[in-house]
Amino acid sequence: MQVFFQTIVGGVSLGAIYALVALGFSLVYRTMGLVNFAHGNVVTVGAYLASTFYLSAKLPFAIAMVVAIGVTAVIGLVIERVLRPLENRDFDLMLIGTIGFGIVLDALVIMIWGATGRAVPSPVPAAPLSLFGLRIRTYDLVVLAIAAIATVLLVLFLSRTKRGTAMQAVAMDHEAATAVGIHVGRSNAIAFAIGAGLAALAGGLVGPLLYVNPALGGTLGIKGFAAAILGGFGSIPGAIVGGLAIGVLDSFAAGHFQGYSELVTFLVFTVIIMIRPTGVFGERTVNRA
Amino acid sequence: MARNRPLYALAVLALVLAGCSAPGSDKKSSGSTTGPIKIALVDAQSGQLSSLGAWELKGAKLAVSEWNAQGGINGRQIQLDVFDDQGDPTTGTNLARKIQSEGYLAMIGTAESAVTIAMAPTLKTAQIPNITSGQSPGLVAVGSEFLFLNGPTSTTYDETLAKYVVDQQGIKNIAMITNNGSYGKGEHDAFTKALAKRSVTPVADQVVTTDQKDFSAALTAIRQKSPKLIFLGAEEVESGLIVKQARDLGITAPFAGGAPQGTPVFLNTAGAQNVEGTIVSSPYLSNDISPASKKFADAYKAAYGEDAELHGAKAYDGAQIMLTALKNSNVATGKALADAIRATKYQGLLGDFAYDNTGVGIFATSIGKISNGKLVAATS
Repeated sequence: MQVFFQTIVGGVSLGAIYALVALGFSLVYRTMGLVNFAHGNVVTVGAYLASTFYLSAKLPFAIAMVVAIGVTAVIGLVIERVLRPLENRDFDLMLIGTIGFGIVLDALVIMIWGATGRAVPSPVPAAPLSLFGLRIRTYDLVVLAIAAIATVLLVLFLSRTKRGTAMQAVAMDHEAATAVGIHVGRSNAIAFAIGAGLAALAGGLVGPLLYVNPALGGTLGIKGFAAAILGGFGSIPGAIVGGLAIGVLDSFAAGHFQGYSELVTFLVFTVIIMIRPTGVFGERTVNRA
Repeated sequence: MARNRPLYALAVLALVLAGCSAPGSDKKSSGSTTGPIKIALVDAQSGQLSSLGAWELKGAKLAVSEWNAQGGINGRQIQLDVFDDQGDPTTGTNLARKIQSEGYLAMIGTAESAVTIAMAPTLKTAQIPNITSGQSPGLVAVGSEFLFLNGPTSTTYDETLAKYVVDQQGIKNIAMITNNGSYGKGEHDAFTKALAKRSVTPVADQVVTTDQKDFSAALTAIRQKSPKLIFLGAEEVESGLIVKQARDLGITAPFAGGAPQGTPVFLNTAGAQNVEGTIVSSPYLSNDISPASKKFADAYKAAYGEDAELHGAKAYDGAQIMLTALKNSNVATGKALADAIRATKYQGLLGDFAYDNTGVGIFATSIGKISNGKLVAATS
């Protein structure tokens, strides 16, 4: 029983990170119908920026995070601006374009910070809480809280602000949205910027849990992408549920199947997707691909 | 990799052109007697194992630049070219063909046993001697006369460790956590064997994957057995994460392992206070063990601005052996060079190298303990 609950606790903490990565994937997808394959690399960049400001510039962790999110949002804007001429013309080229950006970011990270990684000490030094024999890291609680706040803010932005509603409109029908005077390019740019910001948030938060190296975003990107698909690609609550589900699934698979856990995780994932191709929340409002 | 692309295209073009010319007219592509001596260094410069590749490059480069500063070999400079295998066996086999076609005399690397094993058949056919930093017993099983190790195999590491832990310390309540990569698997098998020889069965035997990030399930299972010691068979970063999460879960037992557990990456990832008391089996415990290692560590620090560690030292030894063999054999190639390496007796940083027929040149490690954030020789 103790193993069971401890496994859930471990899975949820990484699951929250996967959820943040999935949110970024989903936001860009619902707005543009585009899978941003550079997303995982943006996570790496975010993780490096946050750790650099935290460790080298000695900024407080929270401020380092905010700066990192700001800088990566700008990178998101750059990616969108470069790809904009292709929007609605050649979708495949746009996809390849994001892959290309991923490779460029990967190379830049290695050029700037080197191939070896760095360890980030936990910004919350408090000892883990002990609860009925379960051990819960205080930092995990911080991660969960921040992920929850970020989700709420995102939902409020999309549903309560004019800009957010405009983005929703573009997602549903971009021609009609253009007709009523919504700037589609700007809407896409905002989606990319927020998506990149979320990636930086995930990367920055995961730094103290893991080890920041150029390969960091690769694993998180794949798991986050799977989470987005599992929850229903393009769905905001789906991204959260999918992220937590992948985290916990991964954790249990690791406990029961040991060396074959990765295989089992993705087998289960495949079976779920075969039964429910649109994912748990399968709201396919977006169909521009 | 990307910046090598035009070069690669050129190489392909050259190959096509060579294929067009008359047979026997392209002799000068390899084994030339003028110009720089070309040695390839193949290692992960990107990806999860890139820290290994970076250390290895630094160690080998240091040895080469020392030789070049003294005028090279027979008045020829040594040219060390770096190839990135990304820690991937498929990329490795492609690189093996590439260094063959570009006329490299010898190869240094890789630091990953799986990649080296994948490259070995091609290098054997091409008769290119290779000194690897891998330590898996699988390297010996390949049975290539062109493959040499620059350190002991896992069997030596783990036999020494089991001897210290079980025979000397009398610890029998041991749990194991290893990954299913080639290094982790080698460690798992070698240590289980060493324990079985002492009729000790591990109380828990957890296997994790190489890119797993959350170890709660495996570690909670281990915690329930309350072992006295936990054997750790995984690379630097993963080992560090395992130890960090184990301490968060309230496991206080010390860890024990091989080379990765003696590195700064392991220590930093886990956090210095978490690795206190870790038992390490290593052929190179610290930079202060001998005058030679002090000299090496000073040169390393001067060149790269960081402290030297085992992997850099291993690669340095390997490169020194390669260059000594090249000098002794008057820049021989192929089988003659392999024989020259086998005949080289070298007093290195890791100890005295004397190669046997299996390509292993050194058969001893020492036991160290992490104390106050530093790896020091264990007082048994």
